[in-house]
Amino acid sequence: MASKFCVSLTHSKDNTDKATVGFVVANAAVGSGKETMVFLSVEGVRLAQRGFADGIHEEGFAPLRELMDNFGKAGGTIYVCSPCFKKRKLDENNLVAGASIVGGAKLVEFLSDGSPCVSY
Amino acid sequence: MSESRAEAPRADAVWDAGDLACGELILTLYGRMHAMRPGEVLRLVALDSGAPADLPAWCRLTGHTLLAADHPVYLIRRKEH
Repeated sequence: MASKFCVSLTHSKDNTDKATVGFVVANAAVGSGKETMVFLSVEGVRLAQRGFADGIHEEGFAPLRELMDNFGKAGGTIYVCSPCFKKRKLDENNLVAGASIVGGAKLVEFLSDGSPCVSY
Repeated sequence: MSESRAEAPRADAVWDAGDLACGELILTLYGRMHAMRPGEVLRLVALDSGAPADLPAWCRLTGHTLLAADHPVYLIRRKEH
């Protein structure tokens, strides 16, 4: 059984339902003992900016900020797609805890041992 | 399920998770189990309708032992290591 788990998330305020469920599933993975990474790309990269997730609260779920905080505290990591981030002219000095800006090679490396990835 | 309440041992801790579900339930449960000593038993009440499928799967993934499952009540023994 693979020891790692990836959640690919391409949404933020353009689809708060998907953004929320992505982190709920990531928390299930990290809470099941998996080395878990959330890969933020496209509009999802906005979640890497401190404060951006504040106020996103889907009915029936914890607030997104809380889900992200819990993910980081449990040891989850966040990779942020570099070109997606740059295209949106976001601030590299204002990243949420546990997030790092990476290129595609880091994602490929993480998945290269056959680790699973789900996408939202 | 083969487990039954009648065979279950005394619980060392009790947690009423209410209607927490999916990742929120699992991640909180993960932290609570880590706070317990090896071999101790948690009595968990989880109302979510996904719990009967999720909790046995979580125990298989993590190595903790599901001693009894009678939804919404679950008895889980913390693994040794």
